[in-house]
Amino acid sequence: MSTRQSLVDRTRELTRDSIAPRHLVGIVALVVLFAAPFELDTITQLTVISAIYFAIFAMSWDTVSGYTGQFSFGHSFLFAVGGYTAGLLNLGFGVTPVVSILVAILVTMIAGFVFGAPALRLSGPYFAVVTFLLPLVLLQIFILKKDIFGGTLGLSNPQSLVSSSEFAQTVFLNYYLAAIAFVVVLAVLLVVTRSNAGRVFTAIREDEVAVAACGINPTKFKLFAFVLSAAVAGTGGALYVHSPVGQPQPSQLLAVAVSINVLLASLLGGSGTITGAAAGGLFYYLLNEQIRQVGWVIPVLGVDVSQFSLVIFSLLVLALVFFLPSGILPWVMRQGRRALATARGGDVAADGGEPPLVRTYRKYVRELRELRGDDDE
Amino acid sequence: MSSETASYSAGDGKLVVDGLTKRFGGLTAVDDFSFAVSEGEILAIIGPNGAGKSTTFNCVTGRYRPTSGTVWFNGEDITGEPMYAVVNRGLARTFQSFRPLQDRNVVQNVMLALAPNRIFSLAGLTAKTHDRAVELCERVGLGGDLETLPGELPHAGILRLGVARALASEPEMLLLDEPFAGLASEEVDELASLFESLRRNGITLAVIDHNVRGLLSLADRVVVLNFGSKLTEGSPDEIRTDPDVRRAYLGGESV
Repeated sequence: MSTRQSLVDRTRELTRDSIAPRHLVGIVALVVLFAAPFELDTITQLTVISAIYFAIFAMSWDTVSGYTGQFSFGHSFLFAVGGYTAGLLNLGFGVTPVVSILVAILVTMIAGFVFGAPALRLSGPYFAVVTFLLPLVLLQIFILKKDIFGGTLGLSNPQSLVSSSEFAQTVFLNYYLAAIAFVVVLAVLLVVTRSNAGRVFTAIREDEVAVAACGINPTKFKLFAFVLSAAVAGTGGALYVHSPVGQPQPSQLLAVAVSINVLLASLLGGSGTITGAAAGGLFYYLLNEQIRQVGWVIPVLGVDVSQFSLVIFSLLVLALVFFLPSGILPWVMRQGRRALATARGGDVAADGGEPPLVRTYRKYVRELRELRGDDDE
Repeated sequence: MSSETASYSAGDGKLVVDGLTKRFGGLTAVDDFSFAVSEGEILAIIGPNGAGKSTTFNCVTGRYRPTSGTVWFNGEDITGEPMYAVVNRGLARTFQSFRPLQDRNVVQNVMLALAPNRIFSLAGLTAKTHDRAVELCERVGLGGDLETLPGELPHAGILRLGVARALASEPEMLLLDEPFAGLASEEVDELASLFESLRRNGITLAVIDHNVRGLLSLADRVVVLNFGSKLTEGSPDEIRTDPDVRRAYLGGESV
């Protein structure tokens, strides 16, 4: 059969042209991540540990929002459920970190199910509105029950999962703990999103009615994405509070800024790809830290750059989102593919791809129109 | 032929709709509408714009929950079942706006429809699924457009994609929502012969359209819907000459 033959050729071509270099870059990046502690000082290692947990949070967001187009503006709710559950079990009941982490993951998944099941039935942007409210409500509960949750200041540092008598050694071990968690989460999410479920997720982002017309239950797949996302959020949150860098505190796990930063990092890296969120999370956190530590003085105003770090950082992010709407990683991959094709003298494939954000926005508009009764059917 | 409201029950056909009513707020889109489709039949539901044809399909396939009335498929009550469950029972549909997945090409659109409703599965990605999707595309006349994005297909091509997607669920019955709208007459003929071939393969069809010409030569039986209620029903020849139908369409002009 000629069509099948040409497809086999095409697949072979694709493998040679884009998949192999892409995987190579990924492997090199992971090798760098695992080799880095030997070159970095302890303070920098601590920063990278925080960046890794932030990247895990970004991957959690991408699983549900980047893939299924169910935008969450309150993912910090899930991070906090994971982190506070683990922290309270350890600090309040003396539960060992291994057990408190496992219980925290389970509790976060249950929380994801309990709130996801009704919220995901809402169409259009209403899911996003509900997610925005969840962390605000949780923060109010933390403030009202200050004796348990520590209010706006949060709780003290729970016991570390891995530690040593020497601080540098503890940090070193925690670096590898975080890196291994990062790789495991990345691998699990890549397997899921590259399987059947991933195709359904992106189809849901496109058109839920069309998915239902294919005999596939969109609600089931959305809920699965949300619970999986909660499992990752719980893992990240619980490990984070049991590391030397994190505490169960609203500013670290629950604040609106946490949710928004995670969302921006995923969009910046390339949402709907998992790898983009992973890379975007690391890049976003480290860039922010870098700008904060710059020692320059702005000439005319005579003030330190570090004082304006947030403004500079926000402008940079704005510019990146504006010029690379699909995200950094998809852009780099497109450029790489184009360069390879040009080098081989082949045709440059046209890309008709729109960023997931645009697709999600269009879906919101259509679903709102349909809710109003302006159905085009 | 009769215009009075007859009552139907589960055993009256492959698809039986009895007393279907759908209200949106104060607006009654479908008002006590009953009809039955027999196994192997091609039923046409015609009516002017806004008569409630698409709303009827949306109620039958679980897109909307009917305000009242009952829907039976293969003798089983499926009223209010969600769309994916109705499709898995063997009752598939196309949409007036086609609703292709714009982010993937023709063959990938059909592959999604072949994918199982299971979370842990690779079945939607195998070479076998791909070959089956290619077969379906060839069957509806899209064999040369496998890698094309829906946005680049002509109007008739997107409709063919909708039919291929519906066929992927291996339906016993197919509901076609305005398949002939906006097509040139030779395209209408091509598609009509595609639908004929589906029927020969044992698929029961219900087709709605307000473009009556293409439909009357295809259908075995015609139901006319006007202002949400059944105006009349009969053979295509009876409908062609019915004065009430003429009046409903453009105030008496011949259909």
